Amino acid sequence: MNPPAAVRTGATVTYALARPARLDLESFARVTGTHPDLVRRLVTLGVLDADADPAGRLWFAPAQAAAMARVHRLRAGFALNYAAIGLVADLLDRIAALETAARSNSPRGGGQ
Amino acid sequence: MAPARDFYQILGVGKNATQDEIQRAYRKLARAHHPDVNRDPGAEDRFKDISEAYNVLHDPETRRRYDAFGPDFRRIPDDVDPDSWNRAAAGAGRGSGPGAGRRAGRGPAADAGFTTGFGEDIDLDDLLGGLFGGRAGRGWGPIPGADQEAVVDLTVEEAYRGTRRSVALEAGGQTRTLEVTIPAGVTNGQRIRLAGQGGRGTEGAAAGDLYLIVRIAPHRRYRVEGRDLHVELPLAPWEAVLGTTVAVDTPDGEAKVKVPPGTSSGRRLRLRGRGLPNPRGTPGDLFAEARILVPRKLSADERRLFEELAATSTFDPRRRQ
Repeated sequence: MNPPAAVRTGATVTYALARPARLDLESFARVTGTHPDLVRRLVTLGVLDADADPAGRLWFAPAQAAAMARVHRLRAGFALNYAAIGLVADLLDRIAALETAARSNSPRGGGQ
Repeated sequence: MAPARDFYQILGVGKNATQDEIQRAYRKLARAHHPDVNRDPGAEDRFKDISEAYNVLHDPETRRRYDAFGPDFRRIPDDVDPDSWNRAAAGAGRGSGPGAGRRAGRGPAADAGFTTGFGEDIDLDDLLGGLFGGRAGRGWGPIPGADQEAVVDLTVEEAYRGTRRSVALEAGGQTRTLEVTIPAGVTNGQRIRLAGQGGRGTEGAAAGDLYLIVRIAPHRRYRVEGRDLHVELPLAPWEAVLGTTVAVDTPDGEAKVKVPPGTSSGRRLRLRGRGLPNPRGTPGDLFAEARILVPRKLSADERRLFEELAATSTFDPRRRQ
């Protein structure tokens, strides 16, 4: 039988490290159904945000999975290349921020 | 002469950045500063700087030469070894590099008058292949310039009467000043078009337009809504009850407002046509909103009269319908 993840060995208790709220390249690629090479390329194009650790490994915030899904949708819906998707995504974010601001400034509480 | 710019600084990356990091920084900056995305008049120059920096740094060979020779690396022949160059730097001749004489046959549009930090005999267009042609090379033909936007702040009085403004714009490392006449009756957020004052076109194409966006600054007395002006009208309780005529400030001087008897707080009295003028139609209105103020301290007589009123009156402002 395999030992459990946290093992009591004599007086020492070994705890599994808490999983940080971020994904490595392979997990991110698996979660989003994307090839890791494409993910890496999208990071280089500035379409996805990732942090590189000192060893050069990429780490992704969970919210980037939604960004990846949007990339897939834009790519499938319009014949955009990946560099153009970066621009479109930026503009959509900008519109969303402006719409939120416009709604919160509306004296009638939105819908105008 | 423009100050020498550090390409790494322009892209916001360290000297030891990887090629991927450089491309990532460039893509993000280019998306933020492209003249069609960013209407700020300075964005076009920033975009050019970013493209120029990327063009040098994305190619490992030119990057190596830039690192070795600095901003003047294009003047140095390809076969020069960086180490021997550094040893011989003091005695090196100038002006004999591959950049010399490159401008022959260039159209006038390429000479937009900016200096590049590389010396007078190379223009930026040579290095970039045009703003939009970029690394893909030329062949797009003339492209008209992008429109730009700048904000101009006005007071309510200036919007009412019209004014003259000098607008300073940063472009090509130099400041351009435009004398602009703002017509009477502009509204908050209105755009004033200055044809041909926007971004430069390439290869002789027309320049874009510059739009001045009017922003009317908050005023301590007037609140602006479109062309309508709102002011507060403080009233004593007896003035509100009995009616009166009071003077109200408008941008055009005082106006008399007739307060009808039985005016409560919040009632708006309209002075038709006394708001901001409209060059093409009816002017806005001025609304004076009644606000009943009471004395903080009462004299003995006042108190007696109010007590008498309280005892006599049957008025109940909180009575349910």
